[in-house]
Amino acid sequence: MTEPMTDIAAKTTPLVKVENLRKLYPVSKNIFREAHDFVHAVDDINFEIAPGESLGLVGESGCGKSTTGRMLTKLTDATSGQILLDDKGELIDIAHIQRSDMRRFRRRVQMIFQDPFESLNPRRTVYDTVAESLTVQRIGRVQEREERVAELLHRVGLTPPESFLFRYPHELSGGQRQRVAIARALVIDPTFVVADEPTSMLDVSIRISIMDLMLKLADEFNVSYLYITHDLAVARYMCDRIAVMYLGKIVEIAPTEELLANPRHPYTRALLSAVPVPDPAYKRERVDIKGGISKALNPPPVCRFIERCPRATDQCRTSDHPGFDDLGNGHLVACYNL
Amino acid sequence: MAQTLEIESRGGKAGTPLLEVQNLVMHYGTKEGDVSAVEDVTFTLNNGEAIGLVGESGCGKTSIALTLLRLLPDNSVVKSGDVRLDGESLIGLDEEQMRRRRWRDISMVFQGAMNSWNPVYRIGDQIREALRLHWPETLTYQEETERIAALFELVGLNPATMERYPHEFSGGMRQRAVIAMALSCNPKVIIADEPTTALDVIVQDQILRELKKIQKELGMSIIYISHDIAVIAEVTERMGVMYAGKLVELGSTIEVFHRPKHPYSYLLLKSTPSITGPRRKLAPLEGEPPNLIEPPSGCRFHPRCPFATQQCIDEDPPLTTVGEGHSVACWHWQEVPEIGGLQK
Repeated sequence: MTEPMTDIAAKTTPLVKVENLRKLYPVSKNIFREAHDFVHAVDDINFEIAPGESLGLVGESGCGKSTTGRMLTKLTDATSGQILLDDKGELIDIAHIQRSDMRRFRRRVQMIFQDPFESLNPRRTVYDTVAESLTVQRIGRVQEREERVAELLHRVGLTPPESFLFRYPHELSGGQRQRVAIARALVIDPTFVVADEPTSMLDVSIRISIMDLMLKLADEFNVSYLYITHDLAVARYMCDRIAVMYLGKIVEIAPTEELLANPRHPYTRALLSAVPVPDPAYKRERVDIKGGISKALNPPPVCRFIERCPRATDQCRTSDHPGFDDLGNGHLVACYNL
Repeated sequence: MAQTLEIESRGGKAGTPLLEVQNLVMHYGTKEGDVSAVEDVTFTLNNGEAIGLVGESGCGKTSIALTLLRLLPDNSVVKSGDVRLDGESLIGLDEEQMRRRRWRDISMVFQGAMNSWNPVYRIGDQIREALRLHWPETLTYQEETERIAALFELVGLNPATMERYPHEFSGGMRQRAVIAMALSCNPKVIIADEPTTALDVIVQDQILRELKKIQKELGMSIIYISHDIAVIAEVTERMGVMYAGKLVELGSTIEVFHRPKHPYSYLLLKSTPSITGPRRKLAPLEGEPPNLIEPPSGCRFHPRCPFATQQCIDEDPPLTTVGEGHSVACWHWQEVPEIGGLQK
């Protein structure tokens, strides 16, 4: 992918700019032997996120969306490529950041996890959990930290804060736990938050209030989300733009409504046509594709979707994985047969 | 193929009642007190019909499925009410009589059932075992194999794959094989509890289409249980909405979706995002589901209901008929606005 990114995000200075990011997992048959086989979990992806913008990363399980999120938060090291993060006007490459700079980086980037039953330490109170990053970042004195934590609890809707400060996770419902996780992520005023399926464990009735809360806080804190989800309807509600991933590659990026109204990649079309619609009178247009998703173990350099694609031609079988075509309005598609 | 090997539904004439749940009350005993998991639930599944039960976790939908199959844990008590299959009460049966009806009369497709295959036996042999235990006559090995091949074809699997082991199947293939096994003894009813919840959306779509096709072709009677109202919209003709152990609304799927009469159904629909139709503001449901050890007085939904009045706190609304085949348990059903379909 050598074409320059012509994103709508590119008009302003991006907050996050991901370039040729890859993550290969070695698969070796024998622990004493060097691995010759690799799963290409994330393979050469590029995207940008503007300040205050939310980008949705959607795809089926195993497509690499969570690995991408973990690389952006440095929970997983990238194999190659760059993750550029704007830090007060200066783009720093966090893929190759020094250990000593990690604390500064953590102040800018935070994460919200899927399962609020696992992501909170059961032996720490709400106060301990939320205040921890303030302590680590050496922000404020004890009293200021207490005030800040109380303020955050108030803003995430855990009111009155005093009644939640010293509770343990087991005393909270799933929705309340996720609110604590959101408070923990936002307490140090980050500019970028990776949210990995933050509502998929919650019931429908709780889900909307958490999504509304995240939208409201994105405005108030001027924070950008990388919102990882398998649910396109949720991505539509939460995100300004959506990137569709398939087996380690981003196959299409577009502003949300444009992507839903005018999907161009055959995979995006199949994915959209398979989403059940909450209206029994609505007849969906069916796009059939073959088989299910597999693993990208030593994939050939051609298009990843070729085995399942209804449109594959000889060009797809002989050429490298297609780069992005710019269709205008920030709509990018990686396919030879549009 | 011999007549006895036909894959079919052994239910009766289409449209006649097959499975009747009458005033079912089921509680779980816990150290903290009795959990009122299913409270006075009444509905009927007709022959050849697909109905849905929808609700959030803890609303009692799976407890109903477990009661129908009598697979309840030891601390559960069926306090009152009855479950009748073809007129015969299942509640009074002893364990051995019930065991013979499971799989043969009522079979099931559970959430995550695709992970319940025994990894060291071939898929085909595991279905063979079900046939040997539950098929009324003894079949020859060849007859069993023919039947399994026919089942595989019906659910969209290549019959040659019956020789494979579970790890050689993808998640979607394993779930298809579970459906083949559920159909193996020509049951009267299939209970499908979250049959596609663990699957990716494209595979989910393929499996739901397969189930719908089989249901229509065989005239099978199916109860779908799901938290996902979009799935219920896809595959059912009638549906019930459950909240906190109660059946609060029952009606044709299209009526409930377009003209819900219970505030909970209305809010559930209003809080479901969709990729079609105009992008709309979703209405959150305030609060959280109640503790069923001490359920709220009167209508169990009143603490979260925007229409609630003193009457709702004092009196439990009965399920009343509000239209043809449409009943609702709410004092204020006339105030619930119409939703209509999603505009294209």
